[in-house]
Amino acid sequence: MLKRIALWLLPIIVIGTLFYWPMSNVLGRGLTGDWFAVLSEGNVASAIWFTVWQAGASVLLCLLIGLPAAYVLYRRAVPGGRALRALITVPFALPTIVTAIGFTVFQKQNVHHPGSGIGTWITSPIFWILAAHLFVNFSVIVRTVGSSWANLSLDTEEAAALGGAGRFRIFWSITRPQLMPAIVSASATVFMYCAGSYGLILVLGGGNVNSIETEIAMAANQRLDLQEAGALAIFQTVLSIAAFALSATGARSRIGFEAHDNLSRQPRLDRRDWPAIVVTGLALLLVVAPIYEIVDRSFANDDGSYTFKNYLDLGGHGARNLLNITLEQAALNSLRNVAVATLLAVIIGTLVAYLLSRQAKSKHVRLANRIMDVAFMLPLGVSTIVLGFGYLMTFGSGLLPLRTSWVIVPLIQGLMALPLVVRIIYPALATISEELGEQASTDGASALSTFLRIELPLVRDSIGAAIGYAAIISVGEFGAASILAYGSQATLPTVLYQLISRPGGNNYGMAMAMSAAVILVTFAVVFAASLPSRSRRLRRRHRVASR
Amino acid sequence: MQTQSRKSRIPKMAYATITAIALTLSLGACSSQSSKTVTIATHDSFLIPDALINQFKKETGYSIEGVKVGDAGELTNKLVLTKDAPIADAFFGIDNTFAGVASKNGIVDGSMSKIDYADVCFNYDRNWFAANGVAAPTSWQQLTDARYKNLTVVENPATSSTGLAFLFSTVAKLGEPEWQTWWKKMFANGMKVEAGWEQAYYVDFSGSAGHGQYPIVLSYSSSPADEVGKDGLSRTVSINHDCFRQIEYTGVLKNAKNPTGARALVEFLKSKAFQSSVAENMYVYPVDATVALPDAWAKFAPASKSFVNVSKLPFDEKRATWLDQWSKLAGQ
Repeated sequence: MLKRIALWLLPIIVIGTLFYWPMSNVLGRGLTGDWFAVLSEGNVASAIWFTVWQAGASVLLCLLIGLPAAYVLYRRAVPGGRALRALITVPFALPTIVTAIGFTVFQKQNVHHPGSGIGTWITSPIFWILAAHLFVNFSVIVRTVGSSWANLSLDTEEAAALGGAGRFRIFWSITRPQLMPAIVSASATVFMYCAGSYGLILVLGGGNVNSIETEIAMAANQRLDLQEAGALAIFQTVLSIAAFALSATGARSRIGFEAHDNLSRQPRLDRRDWPAIVVTGLALLLVVAPIYEIVDRSFANDDGSYTFKNYLDLGGHGARNLLNITLEQAALNSLRNVAVATLLAVIIGTLVAYLLSRQAKSKHVRLANRIMDVAFMLPLGVSTIVLGFGYLMTFGSGLLPLRTSWVIVPLIQGLMALPLVVRIIYPALATISEELGEQASTDGASALSTFLRIELPLVRDSIGAAIGYAAIISVGEFGAASILAYGSQATLPTVLYQLISRPGGNNYGMAMAMSAAVILVTFAVVFAASLPSRSRRLRRRHRVASR
Repeated sequence: MQTQSRKSRIPKMAYATITAIALTLSLGACSSQSSKTVTIATHDSFLIPDALINQFKKETGYSIEGVKVGDAGELTNKLVLTKDAPIADAFFGIDNTFAGVASKNGIVDGSMSKIDYADVCFNYDRNWFAANGVAAPTSWQQLTDARYKNLTVVENPATSSTGLAFLFSTVAKLGEPEWQTWWKKMFANGMKVEAGWEQAYYVDFSGSAGHGQYPIVLSYSSSPADEVGKDGLSRTVSINHDCFRQIEYTGVLKNAKNPTGARALVEFLKSKAFQSSVAENMYVYPVDATVALPDAWAKFAPASKSFVNVSKLPFDEKRATWLDQWSKLAGQ
């Protein structure tokens, strides 16, 4: 018992220092002022309204595209299904700044001559923000709802179909109620991501459209109004924690990369599925189009001819010597940050998951576990901008003057990945700890050796998924890095933002070339992760053999 | 034996992890730069040629490390937010619209020195006006005219120091509340707003590299010097009427790790060597009047002689209010 408390000490110190301390500083700053007056200011109120409605609209769009796609890709046997399911995951794994760069290409192409009256809605930044949110997030709906859908029994549906019910009626009256928890959970998750979206709105909105996130950054960076930033941070935190709580109640499903062995046993597509097939086709087009644009632009000269020049420029500092460091150095910084952030998140996350998964014998321990569970989940509901300013206020001087050091960026990124790591590893450990733990301890094995020799290998896939998620978060993280990473510490996303926000000369072409390279790497990683892992293959073979 | 190992091994692992993390943290926190480097925080448009970096190193022994942090406003505010442990030893590019913020927050060690100035004026694309048979504007006040509908692109004053300088010009020239009426007319006249100067000038402006859709852009009196074509003429013209004179400063930051190096660098920025580089590299006029300007400048990019008088404008007290009022007009 005492040992367990001692083991809790490390994670508690980490989350206390890296999360609760800076958060209390930033929220405290908001509360000291007349925050209600701040929230009713014109620009603040409109930023809040925009944040809420665009997030809501994004969710609806994602459902509209995501549900039919979930049906086709998870409920029906599709040729090349695994590759297609991996493909739709690519946008989610891409750094948001790369997505933003992709959509600026569309934005530029669709600027018709002003006044001609054509396509004014398409010149509105809001249209492109919604499109980009759809691009990034619809796979959350597809994957979450799809996983539930794949595991529903087919019997009722088949019976209803024999009774003459149409596809849509079957969906509405039989399938939809069963999928409701997954739909609610996925929708709340998408809402949370879209409400916390920063880089996309910053780049595509061009300063003309502001959400809570960009308004917080503007208040602090451009007006030095930390009171307003703090007041908005309080609102943002309440909003996203509410969305997060809703998403957590909906589904208890495991998250991770693809792990469905039963998809090949789904019924084939038939002619009556055509509306769903059309929507899925549109969804795939939506995924491919911005990626195609970036790759195409990366080989384009100013005059439209094709060239490798943009790639050759990547070793330099851009037009007018814009960049403090080259993209190569920025990529190395990002890799270093990924290594530290992932290590931090996976070590602490596994420890927390391990401690949470131990059997609680008394009511008090169960309550304590529940509190810890929530305490380590909360960072998931806090935006990177809010946390970034918390770090700026907390670690500038005083007890831990970390701000001047490069570790500050991987620390904040590791903290952001921590809740996801716990969420991925904990359920896996919980299912095996009950059976194995008791048996092994009666055999006299130490807790550590049981964990290392038996449990850890069994949850290897989950740890792999956790590493993958932590790395994705760290590589793509832009908001906090834009606040904390200066000069030679710039990361890939912050350098890409510099290039896209200061076009002219070869800067635009360099942003395209680097984005294309990032896309290529993301593709490789996502597709590699979607292949069945060795242990899963072995287990399947074993299952077949023992049958 | 078993219990023994169980007791000792787990804390050992925990200790090891704690030590590893503590070590990483302390290593990071303690790694200070060598005193032979001097770091300068600047806005994104700062440019010092390699030859001068080498000359500075030869003369003083210091290498220069540049840290670019956005536009003049962002630069000033980030220096304020990080003043306890500054991100650099010296700064360049705080301008006269933000100098008050810098001195009020006490981020400068000693005084600030003027290095250069630039005149914020509108530019237009000569060829576009010739081809379309429209008379080119001669002052920004005319841009609300129906003739110039959908022709103008400006920078957002909330995100660009160029845009902010012009917002101040309108307030100073037109007064309260007429400046708001003027902007309202501009929005109604199809004015486009971009976040930064580079987007407005290089992407939207028809007279520069991007061949955009807008023949009038908010830029600088010096910009036409960069648009001289093969015929020896500039494709663009600056409307040197009621411009805003932006003055840029340098200085040593308080709590700098290398104040001696920073002072040497500030002196170097004032020297003839650096002063003669600013026109060509940053498209600004050197404060040292004895420094000669490039030839094309006399012809295409003379400094403006007509300014808005902003000396009585309370920049610091009213900046937030004016920006707020402007944003409301933009949102309508």
